[in-house]
Amino acid sequence: MRYYETIFIVQPDLAGDAYTEVVDKFKGILNDLGAQMVAVEEWGNRKLAYLVKKQKRGSFVLFAYEVKPEGIRELERRMRIDEKVIKFLTVQPEGGYKPSSFVSVATEESSRGADYGREREVEGSAEIADDEEQD
Amino acid sequence: MAFQPRRRFTRRKGCRFCIDNTLTIDFKEIRNLRYFISERGKIIPRRISGNCAEHQRGVTEAIKRARNIALLPFTASHQLDK
Repeated sequence: MRYYETIFIVQPDLAGDAYTEVVDKFKGILNDLGAQMVAVEEWGNRKLAYLVKKQKRGSFVLFAYEVKPEGIRELERRMRIDEKVIKFLTVQPEGGYKPSSFVSVATEESSRGADYGREREVEGSAEIADDEEQD
Repeated sequence: MAFQPRRRFTRRKGCRFCIDNTLTIDFKEIRNLRYFISERGKIIPRRISGNCAEHQRGVTEAIKRARNIALLPFTASHQLDK
């Protein structure tokens, strides 16, 4: 059994039950493959950095689990088939599970705006730092 | 003509990850990675970011992973908010 993390993006137009159904479906698939769940993170509806399958947004879900290497192949095969999953990425992170900062990010429209503003700020400060460097 | 020493290059900043070992490199923490990409979405080179080789490699890897899962852009020209 090895430790993996899979992040996948679910179609943004699925809400409520349809969305949970997709998440539960893949949880079930992992279960059938004999995987041991470590954590599930739902990051909510986020803006994508670029268009994916003509979608601007997507619901991010992270699974942290332990499974045999063959399990990954099957899970990814199933994800490729399911059209509700628009993108996925599996990594074998070093150092085990660490909760990511997205968990606390609320999904309401208002807080998303604030969140975005903060990101812009960070970008701005990075620029200033670069300028100093070059002097 | 007096010889003028070229003292333009001062203060080589150390690698921030080596100085502060509570910082971790993770492709999911895009807020921290933003510092290492330019406005256009390019990875900032080591000579400017000041990272050591080992950590720059980590940052590069993390940015590439984040790009793969649409957390960070490959290029600014496809930005969606405009």
